[in-house]
Amino acid sequence: MERTHQLELFPNYNVTLLLFRHVKNAAALRKKAMEGSLEGALINPAMIVDPFQILVAANKAVHLQQIDKMKTRTLYAEIIFNLSPNNNISDAFKKFGISDSDTAVLIVLLDSYKTVNLEDIASQVEGQQVSLDELPHLTDTARVKKSCSFRICLVPQSRLCLAVTRR
Amino acid sequence: MAAAQAEAGGERSVPAGPAGPAKGAVGAAGPAVNHPEAAEEELSPPPLPGLQLVQQGAEAHVYRGLFLGRKAVAKLRVPKRYRHPALEERLSRRRTTQEARSLLRCRRAGIPAPAVYFVDYVTNSIYLEDIVDSVTVQDHIYSVQRSGNDTSSLQDLAEKMGELLARMHDEDIIHGDLTTANLLLRPPVEKLDLVLIDFGLSFISGLPEDKGVDLYVLEKAFISTHPDTEVMFKALLKSYAATSKKSGPVIKKLDEVRLRGRKRSMIG
Repeated sequence: MERTHQLELFPNYNVTLLLFRHVKNAAALRKKAMEGSLEGALINPAMIVDPFQILVAANKAVHLQQIDKMKTRTLYAEIIFNLSPNNNISDAFKKFGISDSDTAVLIVLLDSYKTVNLEDIASQVEGQQVSLDELPHLTDTARVKKSCSFRICLVPQSRLCLAVTRR
Repeated sequence: MAAAQAEAGGERSVPAGPAGPAKGAVGAAGPAVNHPEAAEEELSPPPLPGLQLVQQGAEAHVYRGLFLGRKAVAKLRVPKRYRHPALEERLSRRRTTQEARSLLRCRRAGIPAPAVYFVDYVTNSIYLEDIVDSVTVQDHIYSVQRSGNDTSSLQDLAEKMGELLARMHDEDIIHGDLTTANLLLRPPVEKLDLVLIDFGLSFISGLPEDKGVDLYVLEKAFISTHPDTEVMFKALLKSYAATSKKSGPVIKKLDEVRLRGRKRSMIG
């Protein structure tokens, strides 16, 4: 149901994506993530067109962490920041992070030397875990287009350079 | 002292060798060429599944493979050991930055070019979208000319090319290495769906001179690689002029550059 992908350039890292619908405790989850008691990136699936975007963002985040050039303070925050086309951290969180009223959440987990406990994370979500295949149903294409100001309408797969917009 | 000089002399001769045979023909190198090739082998290939070496150029090694589950092209810059390390670092970095910036700029303006997946500023390598099953315009022109049913489809192609270049130049993107080998056609070929690649020598400029030179480079490449294509190039320029809002000064500069070209008589 969840999807895991190993980062080819950083073989110690595996990225796992979990998708949840009908989530009731988004506010609590967000608080936990901010406190650090929930180790993961909580992303708004409405803004995601394809899981590839997340992989690209995670890849860049890991790379920057390794050369000590992250713009944010944690790896998970960096992933969310990398999803955004502009350079403003709080704006990135507002757009791509979850808000208290959200009912769908995409959780991104990164495990390297310490393995991540999927059941533990999943049990904290008051919602239904669904397959990543349902992501297209949750995407709000109008909202995505608005935030990214492309001049022409592109096929979803092609939009992915967004994550790499910053130098 | 003499030994050091001999060593330096020996080292200098090694890079000169692979520049010739290593370009293009990969794997066809005979035993005699293996020793000089060792100098280039220092660049370790990226750990991508399904890795294939596409080209071992003087500027970069190009590989194909799967990156994060997608078909990708990895361009790893070749470090030039004869350069001073600080200069080498700066040059490599600048080239990579320019390439990434131009590609991103194209993407934002809707100009077809590969998507950038990852830029590694430490090793100066770029991971890009692989345009699968594409043909270079160069190969396409060859095959059309060989098969005989000619002009009309090539004229349409030339018009599309002119349009595309006009749009690119209107974004002040100078490609820097316009040849028919750096223009791809996505399948099916009849759709004339063009994609620009290889922005390694590109830069941003609004000057008509730079745009004129860009076109001149393409014209030269056209004439030398594809015989009997003057009409085609004319059509390209016509559609360029029709599409671009700023084409007037550019075409003027192109004419000037043509006059300036090599082996021109300086009479008058």
